[in-house]
Amino acid sequence: MAPAKRDLLPGTLEMMVLKTLTAQPMHGYGIAQHIQRLSKDVLQIEEGSLYPALQRMRQRGMIKAEWGQTPNNQRARYYTITPTGRKQLGEQQSGFAELVAAIGLVMKTS
Amino acid sequence: MRELLTRILDLFRRDKLDAELKDELSFHEQMLARDARAKGASSGDAEHAARRHLGNITSVRERSRDAWSFAWLEVLQQDVRYALRGLRRAPGFTAAVILTLGLGIGANAAMFGVVDRLMFRPFPLMRDPARVHRVYLQSTARGIVRTKSTFPYTTYRDIARWSNSISDHVAFALHPTIVGSGPTAIEREVAGVSASFFRFFDAKPAAGRFFDASEDSIPRGADVAVLGYGFWKAEFGGRDVIGTKLAVGPLFLTIIGVAPAGFSGVATGAPPAVYMPMTTIAYAWNQSQASTFFLTYNWDWTSMMVRRKDGVSEASATSDLSQAFVRSQLALQSVNRAAGATWGLAPLDSTRPHAIAGPVREAAGPSAGLESQTLLWVTGVAVIVLLIACANVMNLMFARVLRRRREIAVRLALGVSRRRLTAQFLTESMLLALLGSVAGVVIAQWGGAALRVLVLGDGADTGSAADGRTLVVAIAMALISGALIAVGPSLLAARGDVAADLRAGPRAGTFQRSRARSALLIVQGALSVILLVGAGLFVRSLDNVRSMHMGWDPDPVLVAGMNLRGVTLDSASTAALVRRLDEAALSVRGVKSIAHMNADPFSTSTDFLGVAGIDSVARLGRFNQQWATPDYFTTMGTRIVRGRAFTPDDRGGSPLVSVVSESMARKLWPGLEPIGQCMRVGVTARECTTVVGVAEDAVQGTLLDDQHLMYYLPFYQKSPDGGTRNRLVMRMSGADAATHMEEVRRELQKVMPGESYMTVWPLGDEVNTQRRSWRLGATMFVGFGVLALLVAAVGLYGVISYNVGQRMQELGVRIALGAQSSNILGLVIGQGIRFALAGVIAGTAVALTASRWLQPLLFHESARDPAVIGLVGAVMLLVALAASAVPAYRASRADPNSALRSD
Repeated sequence: MAPAKRDLLPGTLEMMVLKTLTAQPMHGYGIAQHIQRLSKDVLQIEEGSLYPALQRMRQRGMIKAEWGQTPNNQRARYYTITPTGRKQLGEQQSGFAELVAAIGLVMKTS
Repeated sequence: MRELLTRILDLFRRDKLDAELKDELSFHEQMLARDARAKGASSGDAEHAARRHLGNITSVRERSRDAWSFAWLEVLQQDVRYALRGLRRAPGFTAAVILTLGLGIGANAAMFGVVDRLMFRPFPLMRDPARVHRVYLQSTARGIVRTKSTFPYTTYRDIARWSNSISDHVAFALHPTIVGSGPTAIEREVAGVSASFFRFFDAKPAAGRFFDASEDSIPRGADVAVLGYGFWKAEFGGRDVIGTKLAVGPLFLTIIGVAPAGFSGVATGAPPAVYMPMTTIAYAWNQSQASTFFLTYNWDWTSMMVRRKDGVSEASATSDLSQAFVRSQLALQSVNRAAGATWGLAPLDSTRPHAIAGPVREAAGPSAGLESQTLLWVTGVAVIVLLIACANVMNLMFARVLRRRREIAVRLALGVSRRRLTAQFLTESMLLALLGSVAGVVIAQWGGAALRVLVLGDGADTGSAADGRTLVVAIAMALISGALIAVGPSLLAARGDVAADLRAGPRAGTFQRSRARSALLIVQGALSVILLVGAGLFVRSLDNVRSMHMGWDPDPVLVAGMNLRGVTLDSASTAALVRRLDEAALSVRGVKSIAHMNADPFSTSTDFLGVAGIDSVARLGRFNQQWATPDYFTTMGTRIVRGRAFTPDDRGGSPLVSVVSESMARKLWPGLEPIGQCMRVGVTARECTTVVGVAEDAVQGTLLDDQHLMYYLPFYQKSPDGGTRNRLVMRMSGADAATHMEEVRRELQKVMPGESYMTVWPLGDEVNTQRRSWRLGATMFVGFGVLALLVAAVGLYGVISYNVGQRMQELGVRIALGAQSSNILGLVIGQGIRFALAGVIAGTAVALTASRWLQPLLFHESARDPAVIGLVGAVMLLVALAASAVPAYRASRADPNSALRSD
């Protein structure tokens, strides 16, 4: 029995993609798998939201895309985080932490 | 910013991106299938699951595609294509709309081209024009504020010296002056400018150099000249002329430089041929004032331009310049007192002198004449024409939407959102407006050149109408009118009742009166009435000024003036020259009589007048003075109504005599016999000047002067040798003096010594110049008024015939029930007349309200002239009658059979 899927909070997908890419350049499938694995299958990234998000991030200069070879010699598009992306990630991360802390405070009192 | 750039780049490589995404997705799919297989699913199931997992690939691709294209751009493209298709299907409608908008936008683009050139456009190459101002001086005399833009050079120096708010200043003057020598010498625009002039511009000389402050110094500047680029090209073919000599007026100058191409200083008309130092040109223009032009205050010839210091506001510059001007007026008074002069001594509390840092372009400044005010009104008129055009097109669009109601209903029913529908109407309107503006620019180009010559005069920069500024304005107007004409149909589309329209189809049972369309018709009618009333008023003004009794005859009279160009004559040889000129003039066939006068009819000269029993004659008005030889009155055609004209015996040494105008006689000696009265002319006069005759009132100074306070003094009592600065007037036997002009000039020129020369012009030309503002107003108002009337008539016709079309069935039923065709005619025509009547009433109300502001531009004509308003009302009703007659006739022929059968 797979764990229940959770809807993503708006804006968190970008943040997680950026975080994922800080480790190493990755293709779209790899990103989706990585997030799913780290979240213990709670977060399953729909391709329908992943690829449009990747396009938007590329246009905003947060990531770069290049075609490369997979270890199995398949052609895949690899995404790399840019300095702009790293800055964005920092901002989003701290913003998110504040948000979670604030929500936590509210939820604790009641 | 960077994002936008990427997106635009993506837009161009979108096919590549699309292909890449497709590859990427198929890779994703393969990986999913591989993982599924690894988990033990059969290969077929795995693939299937993978594909399902991936969901709709197309949807992913479409959503990604949104990111690298501007979605709205594609929608727009679609809408434009849709609109074009719709317009191509209705060529008549499209042509009517484009033509109507084209006329409206064209009229405005042409007017803008003129008004912009005259009032707003910064001068070419001027540096930081926002901080540059012309200085205007105002003072009050007899309760009237007078604004001057030219004043003595001495005043300029005072203001420059005593003001603190300006970082730079320049004196300049522009005047036609004879350039060159020998037979090719002709009068050209020559500019006198301070050395600082060139600092106001980002201009490097095309050759040589500009002059500097050491060459523009008092008492007399260096004899140097900088040529205008156009003059240099035309006259010298652009060859090296530096160091050669050029004759300007009486002076011989050394050419030291050539101004760059495109440089015209601050000239509105033709660019100057020559620029020379202010302190040099004074000697060319006014030899009698030359040695004192920087000390005394009696020659108004200098214009002043200043640059505000950084951080100084316009208002504080104005008040700073004002205090400098006040000090200058005090200096003037002490100079005049010391010289024993008696003018300009009124206390400053009463004259309230102050200066204004105003626009460099005079036409936009406080001293702008009637003509530029008229021009602003005409611009307003052009805007009204555009409004009428828009109203008309709005009406056409309404009709079109109503006709397409069913199509719209179907589309709404099929799920097109009302927003999309509105966007489509907007696209269609904008497209029409842009096409209209293209037509407009063509029309402006075609009609605008004539307009610019009419307003700016020959030789001005009449270039193309399609310059950048005009194009921007044309496009802006297109956008505004596009938005305007889209409003109605969009509202209609957004509100329509889908179900009802679907059911009824194109043949709606009863016709619906559209309140919006009726309102538009009335607005159109009202606007046309306003324009036509304006046209009527200006035409009557022009008529009045043409038929005005001037007190002299402009048509048969030629005027001649001489320019000695440095030839110096003593009193005896002056007298001899004048005598020879007289003889030469009289020898020309067709010259009936000749005379001399000292002032052109449209200039004035005045002097102190003392009359026993009157404290201050000056307080009664401005009394103009004219020196006249005995034949003056017969030559000019001014009638002597009492007493006598001058005789050859009224000369130096004989008793002083004068002829006064009827109005002056009434003013100074009301109810008394003017003949034999005594006045003292000049402050120091002890002797009586006895009135010996009374002449009919005559125009002097300006056509607008209703006072006609004028007196004549015998020419040879004032100037025994005849002098060289007067005018020779000749009465020709025919009414058209202009045809003899060249012949007369040739004969007179033969007598002139050395380089001196004679200029001859018809007196009528001077009158025409004075009438320009009314001619301009009449021409433009009539042109635009007729245009407006036509457009409005077409609009009325369109609406009435549309209504008739909608009501055909109802009308058929009426006829079937026994209505006579006269009833039907009355019904339809009555509708047209009611629209026109409402328009006339609304338009008249506005015209009456605006009359207060229009009044000063008219000539002896009430801005509320009932005859004009009545005539315009009648014309409007007649036009309405004509416009509704055709549809009415069609209505009266409605076929009762088809009406009954179709239901």
